[in-house]
Formats: sequence, structure tokens, C-alpha cells
Amino acid sequence: MTHLRQGDGGQAACDCPNETAVVNAVLSGSWPHGCDEALVAHAQHCLTCSEVASVSILLREDSEHSRIEAHVPAAGQVWWRAAVRARLESTHAAARPMTWMHGITAAIVAGVVLAALTAIFPVLPSAFNTAWTFARELLPNPEIATAIGDGLRLSLFVGLGAAVLMLLAPLALYFVLRED
Amino acid sequence: MRDITLTDMERLGALDEADRTFQMTEEAFRTFYELTARPVRVYLARLTGDDRIADDLLQETYYRFLRANVKFDSDEHRRNYLFRIATNLVHDHRRKPFLEVPATVIADLPDSATAAQSAERAARRLDLHRAMKQLKPRERSMLWLAYAQGWSHEEIAGAVGVKTSSMKQMLHRARQRLLAVMHRGGRL
Repeated sequence: MTHLRQGDGGQAACDCPNETAVVNAVLSGSWPHGCDEALVAHAQHCLTCSEVASVSILLREDSEHSRIEAHVPAAGQVWWRAAVRARLESTHAAARPMTWMHGITAAIVAGVVLAALTAIFPVLPSAFNTAWTFARELLPNPEIATAIGDGLRLSLFVGLGAAVLMLLAPLALYFVLRED
Repeated sequence: MRDITLTDMERLGALDEADRTFQMTEEAFRTFYELTARPVRVYLARLTGDDRIADDLLQETYYRFLRANVKFDSDEHRRNYLFRIATNLVHDHRRKPFLEVPATVIADLPDSATAAQSAERAARRLDLHRAMKQLKPRERSMLWLAYAQGWSHEEIAGAVGVKTSSMKQMLHRARQRLLAVMHRGGRL
């Protein structure tokens, strides 16, 4: 190499065309005795190249020793783990539409339950009143009839609440635990 | 050794899945892995400063590489893509910045005539690790790829995710920071 630029004041501190040659010489192990003497002489005067040489020598030495010391798993092991993971992810992805279907089904069931409740609810007070009047006529004591009527009303509400809970609890449980 | 967690059907399923979704055959992967695993492992260890994390990220790097739907023009392109995945994984894994220096650097000093030389070399590497620790992750990446791997500015820019035009300046700054830290600690 005959036209090496000398590191002079006119040259930008981070810019030297010989930088790559210096790095290549260091990484090939020919620096400083096995490479072009002009390059070595240039690096002694060029700030950029001397820096590059210093850093390259340090990092190359570290890299070489680290590669020897590094323990990497066998290629087959890495491949196998990746294959199993790909399979699991694929299974998970395939199950995703089913999850959507479950969600839509749950929404439909909830809608039907609400619609049924809405349809039944206006009828309930009159049904209770009829039952209460009927009970009062049957029973001679009005206090006992009132108590039985109130009890019936309460138990009907409790029954309805329990039915809704029994319907919704498994669905809620499913959505909470589906990730597991 | 028999795998006790997977049935034979699941094994076959996994192999089928690998054939379908991975971008290379097992044979090709083995060849590629033998060439790249150690450099990538060392790169990950230098960037994270933690061997355990480097091991985890190594597996993840190859998994993402295998699943990547990319057409590679050359072996260099393939290798650069692998390092880009590794770089991105390290950047994503910033919860623990830069941990302790690997013990292997100082543990294996031989008891022989070359002990002094080896000790000096080990001390130099330890100093380098400590100095690297003080750099930003991107600076560590750039310096390693440029001066330990010998990559071109274009290749580094592709792996690290910066413009090629600013690479020279950024490398210069990173280099100076590393040397300044080592000088400050009396390590050079």
C-alpha cells in the first residue's frame, strides 16, 4: 500500500480510508508484523487508525477467547426445542377461533337469559298478586296469607337469582381459566 | 434419552410443524448453526453481560430466525439477519441492564510458565468488560460488530437499525468513549 494518507490536521478525526485495512489486518492476525509496513507506519501517525487498531486488538482478543470458552447447546437440541415451540404456538393459534366461538356463544346465552327475564318480569307482579289473593281467600287468617305470599315472592326471586348464577358462573369460570 | 413430557404423536407433530413453518431444513440449520452459534452467543453475552440471559436469547434468536419469512440473497445476508434478531432481542431485554462480568474471564488462569502472560490477558479482558459496561447498548453492539466481527458500516447499520451515513461518526464516538473509559481507569 503506497498511498496511505497521513493523519494530519486537515483530515476529519473520524475519517480515514485506511480504517478498514487496519481492522482487517488485526482480525486476520497479521497486525502489526505480518501486514503492510506502510499501514503500520501510517497508524502510528493517524489518530483514527491508532484508535481503531487499539480497539480492534482488544476486542479481537476478547472475542477469540470468548468463542473458545462459550458453551452453546447442540444444533439438534436448538432445532428440537424450536420445533416443539412452533408446534405449541400452532396449536394455540388453531384454538383461537374456538375461543371466539365460545365467546359468541356465551354472549348469545346471556342475551337470551336477559330477554327471558325482561319478558317475564312485567308478568311477575300480577302473578304474585293473583297468588296472594288466591291464598288470602283460601286461608281464613289474612296475616298467615300475607306471610305465605311474601315468602313465595322472596323464594321466587331467590330461585331466579340462583338460576342466573348457575348459568353464568360456569361461563365466567371458563373465561377466567381458559389461559391455563 | 426418552422425552417423558411428549408423546410420540406430539413429537411427530412437532417435526411436521418444523417442516411446514421453518425456513430451512434441519441439515441446513445444523451447518448454519455450527458456523454462527458461538459468535452469536459471545455477542449476546457481551451485550447483556449475563451468560444465563445470553443462553436464553440464543435459543430465542434461532427460533425467530427459523420462523422468519425472509428470502436471503447470500450467506452474509442470512448471518446479518441473525445478528439483527439478536440485537433486537437484547434491546427488548433491557430490564436488567448490564450485569456482572462473566466469571470465566478470571477463573481459568493456568498454573504454568505462561501464567503471568495469561493473567495479564485475563486482566485486560476484565478491564475491557468493565469499560464496555459503561457504554450504551447500541455502542457496545456497534463496537463489537465493527472490531470483533469486522463488519462493514452498511452491515452494522442494518443490524443495529441506524442510518449508514451516521455510522462512521457514531462508531468514532463509541470508540473514543471506550478508550476514554479505559484510560481513565488506567487500563491502557
